[in-house]
Amino acid sequence: MLAEIFAIVIFLAMFVLIVWDRFPKHYVTLGCAALTSIFVFGIGMRDAHAFVNTLAFKNIFKTSFWYSAGEAAEQTSGINWATIIFLWGMMVMVEGMAAAGFFDWLCLKIAKLANFEPRKIFVAFMVLSSVLAMFIDSITVILFLAAVTIRLARTLKFNPVPVIMAEIFCANLGGSATMCGDPPNIIIGTSLGYSFADFVMNTGALAAVSLVIIIIYFYFTMRNRLQNPADKVDPSTIDVDIKINDKKMFFWSVVIFAIAVGLLITHAMTGLTVAFIGVFVAIITLCAGRKRFKELITRVDYETLFFFIGLFVVVGGLEETGVLVTIANVIAKISGGNAHVMIAIILWVSAVASAFIDNIPFSATMIPVINALAQTTGVDLSTMAWTLAVGTDIGGSMTPIGASANVVGISTAGKEGYPISWATYCKELVPGTIIVIVVSMLNIYLRYL
Amino acid sequence: MGQFIISVGREYGSGGHYIASILAERFNVPMYDRNMLDQWAEKNGIDAENLYKHEEMKRQGLHRTVRGHSSSVQDSIAQLQFNFIREKAASGESFVVVGRCAENVLRDNPALISIFVRGEEDAKVERISRLYKLNKLEAKAKMFRHDKKRKAYHNYYSKMKWGDSRGYDFCVNSSLMGVEATAEGLYHLISEYLKEKEK
Repeated sequence: MLAEIFAIVIFLAMFVLIVWDRFPKHYVTLGCAALTSIFVFGIGMRDAHAFVNTLAFKNIFKTSFWYSAGEAAEQTSGINWATIIFLWGMMVMVEGMAAAGFFDWLCLKIAKLANFEPRKIFVAFMVLSSVLAMFIDSITVILFLAAVTIRLARTLKFNPVPVIMAEIFCANLGGSATMCGDPPNIIIGTSLGYSFADFVMNTGALAAVSLVIIIIYFYFTMRNRLQNPADKVDPSTIDVDIKINDKKMFFWSVVIFAIAVGLLITHAMTGLTVAFIGVFVAIITLCAGRKRFKELITRVDYETLFFFIGLFVVVGGLEETGVLVTIANVIAKISGGNAHVMIAIILWVSAVASAFIDNIPFSATMIPVINALAQTTGVDLSTMAWTLAVGTDIGGSMTPIGASANVVGISTAGKEGYPISWATYCKELVPGTIIVIVVSMLNIYLRYL
Repeated sequence: MGQFIISVGREYGSGGHYIASILAERFNVPMYDRNMLDQWAEKNGIDAENLYKHEEMKRQGLHRTVRGHSSSVQDSIAQLQFNFIREKAASGESFVVVGRCAENVLRDNPALISIFVRGEEDAKVERISRLYKLNKLEAKAKMFRHDKKRKAYHNYYSKMKWGDSRGYDFCVNSSLMGVEATAEGLYHLISEYLKEKEK
């Protein structure tokens, strides 16, 4: 009982400290991980095996960690090293692409294809944001897209705020479509053994329907606020420099990106795990950009990776003490075993929770819960996994603090003199989020139940 | 004369802003206060009105930080102003800057001369009452409200505490000699210092 109390108190303290945002997030999770190791595994459980199990170091040395024939679950509890290694590899690749000027080039090229017409750019950037976020972390996508949007807004004299908000929403939506689009999906995929193709066929299909609906919704609600007709600029007078910083690096970054996408799409067939793909992509990026080796390695967001490591240990404490099974039993009891109610609870609780707290710890906590629910109630695990992914990924769009992309988009706009307050943000994106969650719920009901 | 930057921190009602404007006039250099937002907005073709309500404020409500980016509008505007001050300093221009944690932003800049102006409560209340046509109670409430806001803002973004003498080169009580005389005194002090520095 003591171990359970310690695990719950440390977990809640971690959440409060993350929301308080006074200390760097990785210090919070690593500090709480140290407390979990001492108080939960040491004093409470006196179980060295549970601690070693949570650290999960030995998994890295298994062949199945790098190559697994079939779709066996890659890891069920403790530190999810596959997620961490994959994210590291993708971060190295994205740094290589950014250094080569890939994102600036792509955004400006598309704006040119849209004939520098604000309404066309608005729609094109929503689609671009979704598509890029399927393969690249949403922070990077918004960082570049928001900056280019502001540049274009100043030249073409349109209001960038609705465009940036729509881009944020679409990045979160696009991230829900694939296994590597958003960290919760990577954790869900690697923990429960789902492949990239599984995600595309399920969350991808749900996201595609939602994307069409949300583009129509945003277009009709925001188009009139984009530009004062008197400010219209003749596209033929626009002179935007679309240049590539480093042509050789640019070529290699496109090739490596294509290889990464190819490996991810086929990983269920090839048996190569996401950890392998992450390391492979990082190695070829570092080889191609060996002149910038140090820059590429040091610019990786190690704070986020440490944040993950600490988080997995704290959640491991909850799991090893059986607290998460208790939560699963409570959900099963409330829903009375009814799959429709259970799905609605998972979807809406995930969405609302992700609107205010980081969706990564939330999804990491919920995975063992849905696993236990599937065993006790018989509801299909994959249906709950897709529901959890959609809820956590899309729910984050609801508030300025719900997802990393929101924070980066708002910050980029604010620093350029376009402040986006809570009221402005929520007025536009709360209705959009609710629409997408309702549409997704109906889709899940129709397709899976 | 080489580059010099005078930062003026101030208590509400102490006349610090007026002292800063006298110093700018006597040294014949520009003064930056809220007008830095106007300059910045004009340069980038945006409306500065949207920015005023968020400036010189500590971050409000729920917020989140990701890789150094903050969801707080107040943080963004503060960073915008800090960058403006840094850019002006890097350009080699001499200027006077009021508030905006300038003494913290430029703390490693050898051209910086930092001043904090305080005042006696009665004198500050009298000044606020006169300038804003308020009764003493209203003036006192306004003073406490503004000082609380400035202190919270400064202490959030700066290493040293607001009004702590260790964080400034000169700390002065404007109520002793009056606002104009204090400004004159500071002008002579700084002129002497700059002459010595030139040698």
